[in-house]
Amino acid sequence: MNRRKLLSLLGMSPALLAGAQMEAQQPKAAKSGKVAAAENAQFEALNPKGSPPPVKLIPMAPRLDSVHGKTIYLVDTGFMSGGVLLQQMQIWFNKNYPDVTVVFRKKAGSYMEDDPPLWKEIKEKGNAAIMAIGH
Amino acid sequence: MEKLGIPSVPMATKSFADLAKSNASKRGMPHIRACFTPHPVWGKTAEQLMAYVEGNDPVSGKPLMQEIIDGLTVPLIAEDTKTGMMDVNVGPPVYGPDTLDNLQIHFLNNGMTDFLPIIIPTPEKVDAMLKGSSHHPDEVVGKMAAGAFAAWTFTVRQVAVNAVMAGCEPEYFPILLAVASSGMAALGSSTSSFAYSMVINGPIRDKLNMNYTIGAMGPFAQPNATIGRAWTLIGKNLGNGGIPGDTYMGSQGNNTNYNNIVIAENEKDSLWTPYHVQKGFKPEDNVVSLFAGEDIRQGHGARGAGVLENPMFDDQISDMFRTLTSQFDALVICDPLTIKRLVEQGYDTKEKLTDWLWKNTMRTAKDYRDSAFVYTFHYPRALRGEEPYATWYKCPEGTLIPYWPKPDNIVLVCAGGQTNPFFQVGNLTYRVSVSIDKWM
Amino acid sequence: MGIPSVPLVTKAFKDLAILNAGKRGMPLERICFTPHPVWGKTPEELRVYVDGPDPITGKPLMKEVVDGLTVPLSADEKKTGIVSVSVGPPTFTDTAENLQEFYLNNGYTDFLPIVLPTQEKVDAMLKGSSHHPDEVIGKMAAGAYPPWTYTVRQVAASAVMAGCRPEYFPILLAIASTGIASLFSSTNSFAFSMIINGPIRDKLEFNYGIGALGPFAQANATIGRAWTIMSKNLGNGGIPGDTYLGSVGNNLNYNNVVIAENEEASPWDPFHVQRGFKKEENVVSLFRGLGVVPGQVARGSSVNTSPMFDAQLSDLFSTFTGFFGALVIADPLVAVRLKEQGYDTKEKLIDWLYKNTTQTVKDYKGRNYSYLFEYPQALQGVEPFATWYKLPDDAVIPHFPRASSFNVVVTGGQTNAYPQAANMSYGVSVSIDKWM
Repeated sequence: MNRRKLLSLLGMSPALLAGAQMEAQQPKAAKSGKVAAAENAQFEALNPKGSPPPVKLIPMAPRLDSVHGKTIYLVDTGFMSGGVLLQQMQIWFNKNYPDVTVVFRKKAGSYMEDDPPLWKEIKEKGNAAIMAIGH
Repeated sequence: MEKLGIPSVPMATKSFADLAKSNASKRGMPHIRACFTPHPVWGKTAEQLMAYVEGNDPVSGKPLMQEIIDGLTVPLIAEDTKTGMMDVNVGPPVYGPDTLDNLQIHFLNNGMTDFLPIIIPTPEKVDAMLKGSSHHPDEVVGKMAAGAFAAWTFTVRQVAVNAVMAGCEPEYFPILLAVASSGMAALGSSTSSFAYSMVINGPIRDKLNMNYTIGAMGPFAQPNATIGRAWTLIGKNLGNGGIPGDTYMGSQGNNTNYNNIVIAENEKDSLWTPYHVQKGFKPEDNVVSLFAGEDIRQGHGARGAGVLENPMFDDQISDMFRTLTSQFDALVICDPLTIKRLVEQGYDTKEKLTDWLWKNTMRTAKDYRDSAFVYTFHYPRALRGEEPYATWYKCPEGTLIPYWPKPDNIVLVCAGGQTNPFFQVGNLTYRVSVSIDKWM
Repeated sequence: MGIPSVPLVTKAFKDLAILNAGKRGMPLERICFTPHPVWGKTPEELRVYVDGPDPITGKPLMKEVVDGLTVPLSADEKKTGIVSVSVGPPTFTDTAENLQEFYLNNGYTDFLPIVLPTQEKVDAMLKGSSHHPDEVIGKMAAGAYPPWTYTVRQVAASAVMAGCRPEYFPILLAIASTGIASLFSSTNSFAFSMIINGPIRDKLEFNYGIGALGPFAQANATIGRAWTIMSKNLGNGGIPGDTYLGSVGNNLNYNNVVIAENEEASPWDPFHVQRGFKKEENVVSLFRGLGVVPGQVARGSSVNTSPMFDAQLSDLFSTFTGFFGALVIADPLVAVRLKEQGYDTKEKLIDWLYKNTTQTVKDYKGRNYSYLFEYPQALQGVEPFATWYKLPDDAVIPHFPRASSFNVVVTGGQTNAYPQAANMSYGVSVSIDKWM
C-alpha cells in the first residue's frame, strides 16, 4: 500500500497531503442510519431449534411398606464430600433405625460414568437406595 | 434404579433443585421424589454435615430424613406409574409475520440468542445460506447434547437458521455444518465453566478472508467473529445447551464463550507443518479442529521471558504449564516470530518442541494429585488400573511425573501478525478434526 | 523542536509508521526501515541490518538515514495549516440490509450483527439519560494518538449498535467519560474488564449467578460489547496494523469480561464500597491487563474436606506478571469459605496474598515486563524495584510490588466452589448515577 492510499484511508484528501496539524473533528459514530424501507414491514422468521427426541416415561418402582428391617444402599457418585455426608446419614440410621441395614458404596468411575455391577448388587441385596447426585 | 424396581431417593444440594427436577423430567420420571440438603457440602466438617442430616430440606422445609423415608415408603399414585412417550415442545416452525424489531425481541426473550443482536432468519436469508452447501436442507447433520441429556437431532436447514442469526455469510456455511456434525456443543453443562476453541486450516481461510495476523483472536474479521459465535448459538438451539440452572451449571461462566476462541492458523508465515497436515489431511484440504477445556492465557508472566537479547521460548512455554491442570491438554498459539526464534534454536518441527516440552515439564506426584479435576476424573481411572494414572497414584509424593501421558497432549499452532514474538497457552484438549470440504 | 530527525522503524510497522506520521501532521516524514524483528537478534545479526538495505525502499539504510537528516526540504514538506479528518456524512440512507452491510464493511462494528442506529432508536437511547445529546463527555484514544472527542449522542449511536436498551445508557456514558478504550494499540494483546456495583445490577437484570461471565444476559452481553464498539468509533481504536497492533489478539475483547458483583451472596463489602462509594450508589470500575485464569486448575484444589482457597489463589498467580495486578473473582461459595477461615474482610485476604505470593529475584528479573518497565524505574530509584534489583538472585521477594496490586470481587451461581483470577490492574471507578 502506498503512502497516498494509506493517507486517503485516514480520510485525508491527497490534495491536502502536506498539512502540518490535524484535528479530529467528527467521530464516526456521529452517524446514524436511516432505514429507507418502512420499519413496520412484516417478516417471518424460522425457528432455530433442533428436534428433541420424545421422552419415554419410566414408571416409578413400588414403594416399601416401611423401612424397618430393610437393607438401604447409600450411593456416593463421587462429588466432593458426598461420601462424608452419606456417612453421617449412616450414623443417623444406626441411631434412629437400628434395625435397618445400611450399606455405603462409592460408585465406580467419575460422576459421569455408569456402574452396572453396583446396580446389580443393589437389585440382588437391597430394598431401597439413596443417591447423592450433586454437590 | 427405579427401572430396576428398587425404590430410590436422589439427593442433591439446594443449588441443584431446578436441575434435578428438570433432569428427572427429561429422563421420563417427572414425579421422582428428590430431596435436597443445604449447599455446599464440599468443605464442611462431619459435624456440620450431621446438622444437614438432622435438619430440614431447604426446598420443601420438611425434616430431611423424614422426607427420605417417606420417599421410599409412601405408596405411588397413578401419575407416578404412567408409561408411554412424552413429547418435548420447541415452538412453531416459523415465527411471525411481525416487524424485524419485534422478531429481534422475540428471539432475545426466548433464549434463542447469546443476548446480542441477530440477523433475523427470514426464509429468504435461510435459503441464501443453504446455497452455501450442496447438502440437502432436510439432511440430518447430527445429534448434540450439552451434557448427559437426551441428544437433539438437527438438519442442514436448522444449522442454516443459526448461521444466519450469528451473522455468517453463505460461504462460511460448510464450516458451520462441519462443526455441528461433530455433535460437540460449545456450552457444557458442568459446574466448571468450560471454554471451547476451534482451529481452522486450509485454503478456505483466505477465501473467506479470515484474520490470522494482527489481532488474530480478537474481533477483527467477520468470519472469525461470526463462525465462533454461531457455535454458541448452535449449542443453545440445536443442542439445548446454555440454559442456566438447567443445561448450563458453570458457577462463574467463561468469557470466551462469546466467540469460542476461533484460531485460523497462519500457515503462510509458520515454519512448521500446519495442524491439519499433522492430523493426516493434505495441505489443500479445509479442516476445522475442535478443542475443549479451561481457558487461554498470555505467556507474558512466564519466567525467563525477560532475557530480551536471547528469549528462550521453550522455557517460557514450559513455565506457563505450571498452572495448567493435567485433566486438560495444552494448546499453544505462537506468533510466527516466536516460531522463527524456536526454529533458530533447533526446533525445526512441532514434534521436536512438543517432545522437549513433554520431557522437561514435570511436577511432583503430590501436586498432580492435589488438583480437583485429577481427583474427580483421573483417580477413578487409576483405581481401575488405567495407565499412566495408576502409576501416578502409586508413586511416592515427591516423584516427578510429566503433566500429560504423551507429547501428543501438547498441540502447537501458529497465529499472529508478527508485531511481537508473543505466545498464548490454552488449557484445552483436542477433540476432533472434521473435513470442511465434505460439507461444501 | 527544530531538530531534524529520522525515525527508524522495523519493517513490520511500515503502515503504522506512515499512518502515525500523517496523524501527527507529518504525512511526508522521512522514515527509514530495518528488517523485523530486532528482539532476539545478536549484535552481529543487527550489524547486518545496519550495513544492509532498507527493506522497503531497497536503498542502503545508513545512506538513507544520513540523507534524511541533510537533504533540503521540498515545498510540500514545509507546508503548515489544518487538515480535517473526514469520518463520512452524519447519516446514511438505505435498506436495513444494505446498512447492516455498510456498517460491517466500514469497520464500525465488531463484525457481528448490530441494531441499526436509526434516528428513532438513537432518540430512544438518549431518553435513558437526562444529559443533553450535544454535551461533550470525553476524549478517547487507543494509544499515543490525538484523542477524538464525542458527545452524548455519539455514545448513544454505539450503544444502539451493540444492542443495549435505553436503561443501560448511563453505564455506557460513565465508561465513555473515562476515555479508556477497550482496544489498545500495544503489540501486547491486552484484555479489559469492568465491575458493576449497586442496585442497577438488579434493575437491569445483570447476571451475577450461574454463568456470570458468559453469554447469559442482555445487560452483560451488550454493555461489554458496546465498550469495544465505542473504542472503535469514538476512540478510533481497533484498526489492525494502525491503531491496533496486538500480535496474537485477545478473545476477551468481544465482551470485555463484564462482572456484576454478587453483592447479596458475598460475605464482604462490595467493590464500590471499598472504593469509598455508598452501597446504594451505582458504580462501574474498569480494569486492564492480560486475561482471566480459572481456579480449578490450581494446586491444592482437591483437598476435599478442607479446601484452602488462599493457597490455591496464590498458586494461580505464579504465572502472572507483577506489572499488572491480580483480580480475584471469587464464587460466593469460595468467599464464604474464606471468611470461615478467618478472612472476614477482602483486605485481610489481600494482605495474606500479598505476603505469601513470592518469587525469587532471579525469576523476577527474568520476566519480560520487569526488564521493560520496572528496570528503568529501578535505575531511577523507584521502590520497591530499586531494592529488588539490588538483592541477590536467590532472595525471596513479593510477586506483586504492593498490596494494592490485588483486588477481590465476588460473582457466580454457587454451583461449585471455584474462583477465577485475572492478571489485571484496577484503573478507575465512575459513578453511574451522575449519568442517569
